[in-house]
Amino acid sequence: MYLYIHDNFLSAKRYESALYRIENRLVDLGIKGRVVRLNVLKNMSEVVNDGIRQGVKTVVVVGDDSSFSKIINIIADKDVVLGIIPIDKRSKIGQLLGVPPGHAACETIAQRIIKTIDLGLVGNYYFIDSAIIRNENTLLKLKAFNIGTREPKSNQVSFNNLGVLSGVNTKQLSVNPTDGFLDLVVEDSESLLSRNKATSHFRFKELTVECAQPGAIITVDQVAKLKTPTTVQIAKGKLKVIVGTKRLFD
Amino acid sequence: MFKEDNPARDIKSAETIIGASVKVEGDFTSDHDIIIDGEVTGNIRTKSNLKIGPGARVKAEINAKNAYIAGGIIGNVTVEEKLQLTSEASIKGNVNATLLMMEMGAKLNGQCHIGDDSKPEVLSKKVEK
Repeated sequence: MYLYIHDNFLSAKRYESALYRIENRLVDLGIKGRVVRLNVLKNMSEVVNDGIRQGVKTVVVVGDDSSFSKIINIIADKDVVLGIIPIDKRSKIGQLLGVPPGHAACETIAQRIIKTIDLGLVGNYYFIDSAIIRNENTLLKLKAFNIGTREPKSNQVSFNNLGVLSGVNTKQLSVNPTDGFLDLVVEDSESLLSRNKATSHFRFKELTVECAQPGAIITVDQVAKLKTPTTVQIAKGKLKVIVGTKRLFD
Repeated sequence: MFKEDNPARDIKSAETIIGASVKVEGDFTSDHDIIIDGEVTGNIRTKSNLKIGPGARVKAEINAKNAYIAGGIIGNVTVEEKLQLTSEASIKGNVNATLLMMEMGAKLNGQCHIGDDSKPEVLSKKVEK
């Protein structure tokens, strides 16, 4: 049984025709299910929990990267499959999972190629793409060694599972969400412009983040903001997700 | 010929890259290639290739399969196969390797043992007498 969740920003009139085409295509493909449109009175967590109680096995979120990121924390510990329908072609997570935008995504949902992927965990908060700390004097403690910056200056420290929102998943550095590791990337202001050799890269399973300034912020999937010090770790094989044949990982 | 054959020299991307702005302290162990352009204090051990760039400052015991060194090292360097020191390289410590190539200008202060045998050849001849 399918549960389709439309994120609340889709109530705007300009999305009407796109949503209409998606609903028609789902009917054509025979994978119609319960449709819930989120609003100020209905949140994603309630809707998913109600759906699971009624026997839902597949939750499909229609929205953008921010919508997909929100659903992760709700279904990570539940035995359901996640599908996504990006509303437009700006979705980087959609591109990485090989799901085309709009009604074309319905065919991917119908094909049901299911992959189990890793998630990242900052404290108790799951993330699918990345967590980022900017412009802080950061100390990263792993089991056998510590990583710090040579001179305190503006830099970006990112912990990546997919690494598309953080922009580190490139041809030079391939980030794989099924390898059981997170990728730590430290870029200073020069390398952000030129991608030069100042970029650092480590693979890890767990580390502790400390910042010189107490209460420094770590931004998770460009959605949530959490305080440091905290731990960042891999949650291996935590999410079952429907992917397309053009996904950017094996 | 040696230059072309040293796999450590041609590493373009590696699983671990310690960039110029980063400082690592502790025991660093890996099965894969490592590139160091920053600062490392402690131990570095890899079953694969190691490349140390010109700006790097390393105060560590180093173990690697092949190594290409252009930075400064304080500590002993043990390389299973090929070790290449560029003109900018500086090592204060003992060196062990099967093959060594040093460019003019490279600085090496310490004992140097190159070859497959565990003992230097000259020393073993003296023992026979």
